[in-house]
Amino acid sequence: MNTDLIPALDAAGMPGPPWLFHFLLVFTFFLHLIFMNLTLGGTLMAFVANLRGGGRTADPNAVLAKRLMGVNTYAISLAITTGVAPLLFVQVLYQQYFYSGTILLGWIWFNMLVLLMIGYYAAYLHKKFRGPWLGVSALTFFGIAMTHVAVHLIHVQPEKWARFDANALAVLGDPTYWPRLLHFVLAAITFAALVAAWWAVRRARAGVDVEVNTAIAATAWRWGLWSTVLIMVDGFILLGVLPKPVLLGVMRGGLATLGPLTISILFGVGLLMMLARAKNPVENPGLVSGTLAALTLTIAVMTVTRHQVRVLYLDPFTSQFHPTIVPQWGNFILFALLLVAGLATVFWMIRRVLTSPAEGDEAA
Amino acid sequence: MDYPIWNVAMGGGVLMAWVAITHVIVSHFAIGGGLIIVITETLAVKRSDPELRELARRSSLVLILVSTVFGAISGVGIWVVAGLISPGAISALIHNYVWGWAIEWVFFILEIVAALVYYTTWDKISKGAHLLVGWLYFIGAYFSLVVINGIITFMLTPGGWLESHAFWDGFFNPTYWPSLVLRTGIVVLMAVAFMLWPAFKASPDRRPDLVRYLGWWFLGGVFVSYAGYRWWEAVLPDTVTALFLGEAPTLAGLAATRSFTLWSLTLGLAVTVVALLLAPKLARGLTAILLMVGAFGFFGGYERLREGTRKPFLIHSHLFSNGLLVSQIDEINARGIAAHSGWVAAGDPAPEAFGGRIFVAQCASCHTIDGYQSIREALPTVADMELVAADQPSGMGAVHYREQCSRCHGDIEYQEMAEMMPTLEEIREDPEFIRELNLGMITMTLVELRDMGEEFADFEPGKQFDMRTLDRSYMPPFVGTEEEVEALALYLASLDRGETDVVATGGEK
Repeated sequence: MNTDLIPALDAAGMPGPPWLFHFLLVFTFFLHLIFMNLTLGGTLMAFVANLRGGGRTADPNAVLAKRLMGVNTYAISLAITTGVAPLLFVQVLYQQYFYSGTILLGWIWFNMLVLLMIGYYAAYLHKKFRGPWLGVSALTFFGIAMTHVAVHLIHVQPEKWARFDANALAVLGDPTYWPRLLHFVLAAITFAALVAAWWAVRRARAGVDVEVNTAIAATAWRWGLWSTVLIMVDGFILLGVLPKPVLLGVMRGGLATLGPLTISILFGVGLLMMLARAKNPVENPGLVSGTLAALTLTIAVMTVTRHQVRVLYLDPFTSQFHPTIVPQWGNFILFALLLVAGLATVFWMIRRVLTSPAEGDEAA
Repeated sequence: MDYPIWNVAMGGGVLMAWVAITHVIVSHFAIGGGLIIVITETLAVKRSDPELRELARRSSLVLILVSTVFGAISGVGIWVVAGLISPGAISALIHNYVWGWAIEWVFFILEIVAALVYYTTWDKISKGAHLLVGWLYFIGAYFSLVVINGIITFMLTPGGWLESHAFWDGFFNPTYWPSLVLRTGIVVLMAVAFMLWPAFKASPDRRPDLVRYLGWWFLGGVFVSYAGYRWWEAVLPDTVTALFLGEAPTLAGLAATRSFTLWSLTLGLAVTVVALLLAPKLARGLTAILLMVGAFGFFGGYERLREGTRKPFLIHSHLFSNGLLVSQIDEINARGIAAHSGWVAAGDPAPEAFGGRIFVAQCASCHTIDGYQSIREALPTVADMELVAADQPSGMGAVHYREQCSRCHGDIEYQEMAEMMPTLEEIREDPEFIRELNLGMITMTLVELRDMGEEFADFEPGKQFDMRTLDRSYMPPFVGTEEEVEALALYLASLDRGETDVVATGGEK
């Protein structure tokens, strides 16, 4: 395998064993996906729902759109915040490939930041002024998804770097590009739809705006059902168009690779059955919660499979480099302790806030 | 240097400056704003003062809109741009300090969640719970500064890390504490600069009180940051301070930056004393703008000074800004840059084209062809020679000579040179001869830059390099074989004919 264009390993060595960074990369990417799904899927759904609501504020579609964009007030910031960690760990593990991939995209990669900024402020402007801003926000977030899929596919295929150097947009012609993009976008929509359905069911069962919340739950549930159908079809297409060595790697990887893949396919089928079972989700709150939990678990397992596919793509190259390991265990332990303490503080703070409601002069 | 190169017409350094400057201003505001807002709310609760409460509330909207997204995106933006323009350099930093950044991320999570909760729970939760959230926000924000300050200061003064390569030796480096004090003052300056605007929206009878209240904060920020700045200067190694201090500073531009920095702070101080403390009724939008100019000028000046004194290193005495490690110099000089980088080796083997790729790998992280730090402007051309030889109108030859040639021929007076060099007619008759001459000069300069690399390589390991000993202390050395020196010289000389290979000039991607 010709590795001429692949830069050297970093001379500083890896500040911990690779397995630790693989774990942290997958774990933090999963956290990022939760909020990214809400942001991307929520905004796309809100855009369509807003159009269907036709400007009637009491229409369930309009309420759904408003609610999804309300969630986005938090989700966008948290998607960015949780995205920092996987961006950090991917640079430790795959610095040679990741930087090269981003450089070959150049301005397109840089403009991801501009799109993110426009997407966020457009979402804010939509809340204030309506108008075309929701569409702008949806478009920019979709553009960011396209950019991420592009950089991923470029960085895992060093054998094609010379071609991408001549024309980075050639990545759009990669057989896996569109199925992969669709897979992520549909998953985001499914997740946002099920969160919206779950919330509407809770509200309806609590007796709040029962009619509207029942309608929202049913609409969101249908979104979840149909996007899951499409994900299943697209998932098999994606599997079929993977480069042969990568697909063979998955198939011959034994329990380590076939396990997560099989579990996620079974979960997918299970999700479809659960989604098809309920005509009126409000009558099946347990099923709704279970479906959302199962979807979250599926995303976690698929995150593992996604990472394994990257490992297999890069294996012919990474196997030729042997990083020096210079562990900083003390610093890792400090990080782990602070992470636990930090997350505990966040939960404690939220709990304190939820248990301290106040009104009038008593309120802050 | 072994990565593909993203060639930006405006210059990667300029792009980085834009992203970094906006980020540091917003991120420091986010920290100082957290402190002042939560203290303001505490005072409002204690005094039952609705105007103070409104100041805190209005300011928290700015905080949420600006810091949680713009601050976060521009912070990621620094990584993105660094990865695009100096991948080897940012990789080295991350491989050494990944756990530092991971710890900062933990504080960042606390900061962002607390900011979102703080803003959205006004009028909805008890005062005590709201204040708790505000203080947790400030703790998260300030500790993210405590962590990142270690990495930033390490880059200029790595201290004991150069010998031990130990995380904490680099983290608690000589400028860590002064810089923390300085930035603590700066966060207050940034916060007041932003918070004056919401203060102007208070009722006319209370506005002067609020303006004066913020004035006291700014005054405190000025004293803390000035003390931190002087402490920072005092602990810098002599080798660094000599670049911008003393009667004959090595880099005059940096000495001017230092003056600008301190005068900006003086402007901020004067505006505060006069318009915020003595006559707060007079404070208007212009006052806030002047205060912003002073505060941003001081902060920007300090950052420029910090970056400028570190040049040409990214990690002082260890890693150059183009990604070259000091420890690689001997090896690349022996084996060649083409053996080190596949992106240099691949492509047209013709010397000029090869030289173009060497330029991209070694020089393009600082130089553009015609834009920022234009290499074409820095090189001798036939047109330069004609201007010097023509001396039209009389006296201009000496001026052009001083501008174009004295950096290399500082020991030769204009008249002496005029007698040695060809006449205007001779130049016009045979410009190729002049180009040959220029090629020789370029080659000589590259040889000197290559020799400079050997000085770096021979330096005692584990010590901070004394840049005063070098002629071109602001540049990384050239590394490569003699054949590669010739190829790069041929490429650079070809720029005088306007022949710029698209690979090397980069068409932008």
